[in-house]
Amino acid sequence: MAMAMGCLLPPEPSQAAYREHQSTWSPYENNGGTCVAIAGLDYCVIAADTRMSVGFSILTREHSKIFQLSEKCILASSGFQADIRTLQKHLDARHKIYQHEHNKQMSCPAMAQLLSNTLYYKRFFPYYAFNVVGGLDNEGKGCVYTYDAVGSYERVGYSSQGSGMQLIMPVLDNQLKSASPLLLPAKESATSLTESEAIDLIKDTFASAAERDIYTGDSMELLVVNASGIRREYMELKKD
Amino acid sequence: MFLTRSEYDRGVNTFSPEGRLFQVEYAIEAIKLGSTAVGLKTKQGVVLAVEKRITSSLLEPSSVEKIMEIDEHIGCAMSGLTADARTLVEHARVETQNHRFSYNEPMNAESTTQAICDLALRFGEGSDESMSRPFGVSLLIAGHDEYGPCLYHTDPSGTFWQCDAKAIGSGSEGADSSLQEHYNKEMTLEEAETLALSTLKQVMEEKVTASNVDIAKVAPKFHLYTPAEVEVVIARL
Amino acid sequence: MAKADVKLPQMQSGFDFGLCRRNDMLVKQGGKPAKFLKTGTTIVGLVYKDGVILGADTRATEGEIVADKNCEKIHYIAPNIYCCGAGTAADTEAVTDMVSSQLELHRYATGRESRVVTALTILKSHLFSYKGYVSAALVLGGVDITGPHLHAVYPHGSTDTLPFATMGSGSLAAMSIFESGYKEDLTREEGMELVSAAICAGIFNDLGSGSNVDLCVITKGGKEYLRNYKKPNPRTYIREKGYSFAKGHTQVLSTTIVPLKDKVTIIEGEAMEE
Repeated sequence: MAMAMGCLLPPEPSQAAYREHQSTWSPYENNGGTCVAIAGLDYCVIAADTRMSVGFSILTREHSKIFQLSEKCILASSGFQADIRTLQKHLDARHKIYQHEHNKQMSCPAMAQLLSNTLYYKRFFPYYAFNVVGGLDNEGKGCVYTYDAVGSYERVGYSSQGSGMQLIMPVLDNQLKSASPLLLPAKESATSLTESEAIDLIKDTFASAAERDIYTGDSMELLVVNASGIRREYMELKKD
Repeated sequence: MFLTRSEYDRGVNTFSPEGRLFQVEYAIEAIKLGSTAVGLKTKQGVVLAVEKRITSSLLEPSSVEKIMEIDEHIGCAMSGLTADARTLVEHARVETQNHRFSYNEPMNAESTTQAICDLALRFGEGSDESMSRPFGVSLLIAGHDEYGPCLYHTDPSGTFWQCDAKAIGSGSEGADSSLQEHYNKEMTLEEAETLALSTLKQVMEEKVTASNVDIAKVAPKFHLYTPAEVEVVIARL
Repeated sequence: MAKADVKLPQMQSGFDFGLCRRNDMLVKQGGKPAKFLKTGTTIVGLVYKDGVILGADTRATEGEIVADKNCEKIHYIAPNIYCCGAGTAADTEAVTDMVSSQLELHRYATGRESRVVTALTILKSHLFSYKGYVSAALVLGGVDITGPHLHAVYPHGSTDTLPFATMGSGSLAAMSIFESGYKEDLTREEGMELVSAAICAGIFNDLGSGSNVDLCVITKGGKEYLRNYKKPNPRTYIREKGYSFAKGHTQVLSTTIVPLKDKVTIIEGEAMEE
């Protein structure tokens, strides 16, 4: 289990030179947590746990990782909560400006592009935030966008980010395997599950992730976006 | 009256005691010297038509450019100091492309018009880059966005109006009353092409040819007619 | 084989710390120090009126992943002595196994019940000689001829003798319960309740600890090992549909059949002599 004493890797020469100038300043923290989103033909489900922790300590058991960006667009993020909060406030302000300039709410695909630009703008001092955007597009179809910390993004049928991602993603791949986005002509990325089936699957993946990931737990917040609006649900998770 | 005017028409940003900005009013007057341009909105799209003054037989007609593309879905016709319009169109092109970069979607025609008017009003602000006087040009902006076809009219004061049909330039008074008489909301794009050109014909001194008018449509993409396509419309007159 | 014409360095007895010096040098050059697996844990023990109560959670972690949801952290040392272990799982198991076998032999030789101090002395001398590299933090408890005893043992070999002790990443959470609730001459029920509450504090407030509560109550002439005394963390959602995997779910990319018969040749040998 433990690493052997002798397996120290010598540093790369260039790296060693670089480190001489590197300060010990470390502005990031990982507050853990898991986000999942599934897109259906006429709905989108976005979920995240509500535990916020650092190291082996729980900071709070009821911190929402989900942020409503518009009437049809939801952002779920894990990573460093201070960066995430700043990102949310920035996007919210940008959305208010957009509404004043264009007399309408930003569409989910537009918000997705804006988030990508916002993340890439800080390419060399990134937001420590791993995001999933979910909602409905202009045609009313469910959409999910998944990101890395510096703005690379992709529209997918389902996604997971955060500390439980390694546990949840293979399950979703197995249950919801969708066509490659590179296929031509483009295939439908939304999953064929019904809304209640998708919610059932998400609840089970979170209960499972809470069993094995120490940073996932306490409770799960779940948002369903469909033609009739946004519905919010909560489910208890293990608290250990 | 004349005395006060001569004192308060120097500074572009100085109000007269009556509350008027004379330089802006003069700029609006400049439009009335420009060649006539008309725009008509139909349910299928928007038609723009302009008169090109070919002052010499040695002039290359295609070099007189009075209808320009702003983005794939927005075009504009101009009257007045066309050189000023280039600055406004360039600004609008940057704005629409910026919007595509930021949001991965086309910019709405109204927002684009607003962006143009923002610049139109930004004269005399001192820095080297900005305009020292009002832009002496009026625009007809034709667009097609999520709300369907639309037509906007801007003037040097930075004000804009949404219209069903509008004429600007030297023949605008006659053209406008003609449009009011003949335009109806249910007309087809083809009927609009014909009405646009016949309206121009009424106010033009020259005979209408493929080289002294330009026609464009936004339905839903911008398209500037080739001389051959213009001939087809002329034939219908 | 050619004889090596190289003089072998004179082997000296004792430890060779050459690798340690090399590691220090690499760290100074910017290398990463080797990591040890530390399992987060909450283990506790207290002395009550009639003996000793030990308690432990049942979570074993590898980094941020729960490796075992119901492991045993209260190890057998002797019939009258048990020991809770925190730290590297391999170290705590090896070190308690070693002590228990030594005490077993000692009982055969002496014919007497093992004493807690004996276990304590073996543990601390072993840990001290490994200079903290055997990462085992222990709570040792038992009842012998001299009465009930409770000790905390640290990885470097130092020990404490206490009326109540906590160890592991959840030790602060557990100690807060003991500090507020411990008193002398607790009854068996009061003691079990306090130990259980201390472990629960670790389970719920320390991410390195979790799942269930194990207890071990040792009294004069008897003990009770209460495996999974409490199960405060049941699964919160069970999918009624379950998961079924249709046959052929995994795509077959290619098939090769190797006939085994052709590879085997049977040679008739002579019959063995009787």
